[in-house]
Amino acid sequence: MKQTIEEFRTEIIPLVDGKLFSIASTIVLDGRVSAYPANVRGYALGHCYLLKEANDALLLDSGYSAYRSQIIESLRTLLLPDDELSIYPLRLNEYMSVCNVEAIANTFRAKQCYSGNPDASLWVAFSRHSENLTDYKLKTTLVARKQDLRLGGGDGRILSAFQAPIRLIGTRWVYDRETQTLFTSDSFTHQWQLAADEPATIRSRADVADMPFVRSFLLNTRYWWLEGGKTAELCRKLDAVRSQYPITRIAPGYGKITEGFASVEKQFDTLIAALEDLDQANSACAYVDRELIR
Amino acid sequence: MNQHIHCKSTPREIAPGVQWLGDCLAQHANGKIYHTYNAAYLVIGEEASLLVETGHPKDYPLLARQLEKVLKGQPPLRYLFVTHQETPHSGGLGRILEDFDDVILCGDMSDYHLAFPQFSHRMSALALGDTIDLGNRLFRVVEPVIRDLRTTWWGFDEKERVLFPGDGFAYSHYHEDGHCGLFAEEAVSLNIPEVSAVFADRALFWTKFTQMDLYADRLEKLVHELDVRAIGPAHGLPVIDPKTTFPKIKAGLIYGSSVPESGTETGPTRDKSST
Repeated sequence: MKQTIEEFRTEIIPLVDGKLFSIASTIVLDGRVSAYPANVRGYALGHCYLLKEANDALLLDSGYSAYRSQIIESLRTLLLPDDELSIYPLRLNEYMSVCNVEAIANTFRAKQCYSGNPDASLWVAFSRHSENLTDYKLKTTLVARKQDLRLGGGDGRILSAFQAPIRLIGTRWVYDRETQTLFTSDSFTHQWQLAADEPATIRSRADVADMPFVRSFLLNTRYWWLEGGKTAELCRKLDAVRSQYPITRIAPGYGKITEGFASVEKQFDTLIAALEDLDQANSACAYVDRELIR
Repeated sequence: MNQHIHCKSTPREIAPGVQWLGDCLAQHANGKIYHTYNAAYLVIGEEASLLVETGHPKDYPLLARQLEKVLKGQPPLRYLFVTHQETPHSGGLGRILEDFDDVILCGDMSDYHLAFPQFSHRMSALALGDTIDLGNRLFRVVEPVIRDLRTTWWGFDEKERVLFPGDGFAYSHYHEDGHCGLFAEEAVSLNIPEVSAVFADRALFWTKFTQMDLYADRLEKLVHELDVRAIGPAHGLPVIDPKTTFPKIKAGLIYGSSVPESGTETGPTRDKSST
């Protein structure tokens, strides 16, 4: 199943009227997507989330280059001419987060790039364009490991950005109080679509994947190192996040979006149960071969 | 960099026909400034040359100048092998493929068709044990013992027995002590366990949650089995005497994993109660 140019498509998914959208790219799972197990087939949505408040807008992640023109067209549809756009790549080291930062920033003359790294604009400079820019440079605004950002001015919507409680590489999660949405980057990505027209959202507890499925997904993706590890600490951190914030939507970087408090609770319960099962108290630790499928 | 600090500079040959390229990236940790390499290496055969890694996106202008210098009079660059998809390792990939029309990208090809679709016809997926013939010099794909993304591969130059371990052998160094451009054996004041811990805290979060002695032992086995004589890591200083240096690296891996995490990236910590 090879993805052709025609299949590099995106759609706008309105999540909260006028406030929150996903610009969702359909990624074919053909064994060549590092965020998914090599042996799964189907489709996963790759999400760039656009948050809007008054004339202020924030884009979380910028998507892969293959979808660049469609992502930019989607932004043209969603942004008004005098809207100010900021960009926040939640994983500065990964292409899905950073591929289009430079192109989007140049197209919309973005106000700033949020990052934990002071030279983030250099981390996203993939083209020669950035070497020769004289009239416009993307400004980096440093974000602490835990910090509230405002969308829509000084008294605007509060977005809490913090270090991801479970991660492989430097990763930020963001909580939006207004929409009660938790943006989880590369976590809660474990439910994809078998068919491209399958619903993009999970709305019922019954549709939340079970613990063995989540456990297997973790071990066959970037969380290959968890088995027999010290995961109790990760469980505590995850539980602290859901205790701190009322969450009615999980918006991951890839895969299906979870809607509704009950479904969100089950997603957390299931992930924590999988991590508990993987803890050194319950599972043996062994060297993990790269090709091991579990 | 401070002008009064004497640093050696890259390119620098770490073994016959293997050039160390790239630059450092400053990291702030424990109230100090550490430097970490985002290195690339050029392996020169009799008929073709191969570049391992591309360095960080910001480094490409420097890398391009270094490549021009070291490729002069040498077999042309035909292959680019990147250990994995993180941008400090592969961020210059697009510009390498733009500048060198004949170069084929090799390794695990996950995500690159989405990040660089214009070059998808110049990508070649390799598996464990696959080799690239550079002309009287074979470059082999080997087991990636220390990795982050599951799609990582390591490379091995069979001729001079140089291991290219990507994120393995990752540790910072002290710019103030003039360590930039030195081999690990030359950086006498380098406290490898300490700087391994600094790097693990920044980039190898997972090592703090597993039993790293299992990985350190496996790494030792690999180094022994391959009869490794030099090591070209992406982030650490190159190792030219593995027998002497490996025990320190092994101790550093285990020590680094034992130090509680403090967080990633260099942003200010305004609220120490971060989740």
